[in-house]
Amino acid sequence: MTASAVVFWVLTLIVLASAAVVVLSRSLINSAFALLATFSGVAGFYVLLGADFLAAVQFLVYVGGILILLVFGVMLTHRIQDLDLRAEARQLVPGLFVAAGVFILLAAVATRTPWAIGAGRLPSATTAEIGRAFLGKYLLPFEAASILLLVALIGAALIVRKREDA
Amino acid sequence: MDALLESLARTVPEAIVCLGLLLVVVLDSAGGAARRAIGPISVLSLLLALVALSRETGAPVASWSGMIASDPLSALLRALILLGTLLVLLSFDLGRSRELKGLGLGEFHALLLAVAFACLLLASANDLVMVYLALEMVSIPSYVLVAYLKRDPRSNEAALKYLLFGAASSGTMLYGLSLVYGIAGTTSIAGVSAAMAGSLPAGSSFGLWLAALLVFAGFGFKVAAVPFHFWCPDAYEGAPTPVAAFLSVVPKTAGFAVMMRFCFEALSLQRGGALALVEIVDWPQLLMWISVATMTLGNVAALTQTNMKRLLAYSSIAHAGYVMMGVVAMSEDGGRGVLVYLFTYVLMNLGAFGVVAAIHASEGSFDLRDYAGLHRRSPLLALAMATFLLSLMGLPPFVGFFGKLYVFGAIIARGPEFYWYAGVGAVNAAVAAFYYFRVMRAMVIDPETGTAPALSLGGREALALCALAALNVLPTLAWGRVDEWTRAAMVLLPR
Amino acid sequence: MNLEPTLAHYLLVSAALFALGLLGLITRRNAVQALMGVELMLNSANLNLVAFSRFGTGGIDGQVFGTFVIVVAAAEVAVALALVLALYRMRRTPNLDAATTLRG
Repeated sequence: MTASAVVFWVLTLIVLASAAVVVLSRSLINSAFALLATFSGVAGFYVLLGADFLAAVQFLVYVGGILILLVFGVMLTHRIQDLDLRAEARQLVPGLFVAAGVFILLAAVATRTPWAIGAGRLPSATTAEIGRAFLGKYLLPFEAASILLLVALIGAALIVRKREDA
Repeated sequence: MDALLESLARTVPEAIVCLGLLLVVVLDSAGGAARRAIGPISVLSLLLALVALSRETGAPVASWSGMIASDPLSALLRALILLGTLLVLLSFDLGRSRELKGLGLGEFHALLLAVAFACLLLASANDLVMVYLALEMVSIPSYVLVAYLKRDPRSNEAALKYLLFGAASSGTMLYGLSLVYGIAGTTSIAGVSAAMAGSLPAGSSFGLWLAALLVFAGFGFKVAAVPFHFWCPDAYEGAPTPVAAFLSVVPKTAGFAVMMRFCFEALSLQRGGALALVEIVDWPQLLMWISVATMTLGNVAALTQTNMKRLLAYSSIAHAGYVMMGVVAMSEDGGRGVLVYLFTYVLMNLGAFGVVAAIHASEGSFDLRDYAGLHRRSPLLALAMATFLLSLMGLPPFVGFFGKLYVFGAIIARGPEFYWYAGVGAVNAAVAAFYYFRVMRAMVIDPETGTAPALSLGGREALALCALAALNVLPTLAWGRVDEWTRAAMVLLPR
Repeated sequence: MNLEPTLAHYLLVSAALFALGLLGLITRRNAVQALMGVELMLNSANLNLVAFSRFGTGGIDGQVFGTFVIVVAAAEVAVALALVLALYRMRRTPNLDAATTLRG
């Protein structure tokens, strides 16, 4: 077994185990911290797949941004005295059946479909190439995304603002 | 550089709406007297965009390095989106609305323009990346618009439910898009069917079918199709009425635009002449079942509603089912049916919501029981509502009739094995007539409790509702022209 | 048994991640936790995109797609948490079921 195979299986274990904790844990805080492991594990997969830029973005935005936001969400919506932060589940058994069914379907597709496999993209520095793609082929979505961020900012501020302006 | 300018020349309406949006944001933060310009600026930018769109020339081409399809189909759909947004701004008197009283309208206009901008992109998206991004750009400001009524907890709850449903279905769609990318090896919509080169490699048809199913979750959410419709009644009830009206026509139009392009260009091959399509995987069957479920569930659920916003929400779900018939027909006539239906739906549904908003502005109620005696208290409103309801029912000479005529015609033209589908549609149209008549009965026949005074109606609302009612009849007189527009629009990008 | 990771291995991991995310979404009452489920689903789709970009003929497009997905996710979470916060202010609960003013 090569080193990359070892890393892959370790990452798989981390990602799936922590994702299971995120979903099944009764405590919100545990979920949030398990999510940290999931996001980091996925970033590890990106490194393994030669997507160094995306791995960095995953760390910066998901771990540094989205996760922090989620933790804020947990903290701000629970009183501090309320230590156990319990979150209940509903319909766990039917949910498990649905999830298992979906997994079987997706797994069947994953293993049976003849994917468009080519020479592939051997691991190499991607940042320059992605930068060129952003300002070349993907210029319009790149610019449109800035509008999206502006609108999300306005929207989030509008929703939490206490004062009602006339 | 030349390519960039050429691309820009094909997206002038988008650029104008985007500039209008930025201007509104700046004016709103400037505050004071500048805020009074926000409404006119929004209307003006939409009008200018419509003018720019009508002057757009040039052969069908994929612009922005293949991100955007600049073809007659997207031009007509974008015109519908601009028209719908414009009519929402013109026909709802936001200043008179009870719901929006005391809330700033700057963000309202900015968010509305942001959704319209994203809808324009979605309607001409020609790449999976663009499809996903534009769809989310439609959704995210929509959530905020639904949550606009800050004093009303229902508004916030509705928005949160809407967001969770939206995030789940767009995540599902994204998984499907990633599978499509894996099968085709490209993110270009036309490239998907081109990659199959006429034949699907053995074994990948199930994968592509499942990918199509997952992608339909995203489209189904946007057009409120069963089983992705749960957000719809709650969102319409919780949202300000103009927002509910807007969501029921504009994003729906964009959703059908992208659904049609994805089904016709990515999942089908062109064989023979203009728009002779052959499906790669059996998506028509899939969509047909979604459509049958959508119209049936929408109509049955609408039967028992007493809140007008919820009633119109279920009616809009049912209408999405009829529009899907045009996509399932997979022909030029079917595509034209979708366009005609969407065009007439903008006119009739905005009208119905306009009446609901006008009644709420003076009565403060969405309850059907409070519509009793409307014919006496405001003959104009009752007459306008009757026009819109008859149009929604699909009776001639109102424009709603043509939408049904085209989609049913296209389905029947596909052959006897589709007759039962048309039959289900016909039965559904009959069921729908029940609840539309129930509203009319409430307005005209139901006994009033006490003697409510006459309704006060703003001049602007009266004018807008009269104009919309006229627009529900007048196009019938010049239908040949509308027919011609839709015929000219059914041209896809050359391969 | 071949333990070297291939495309299928990555796709299986991502399928499991997607199923777990879905499970979280449909079973959790807490809006923040449901949102975490959605994030798992988005991560699984992104993993697919990057894996196809590595092994398939898609080139860099999959990674660019993935970057856009992360941007969108950030915007969505910002709006979602604003809504959860506003809900909590009005109701003192982040649970969806407790929000029952709307019928059905």
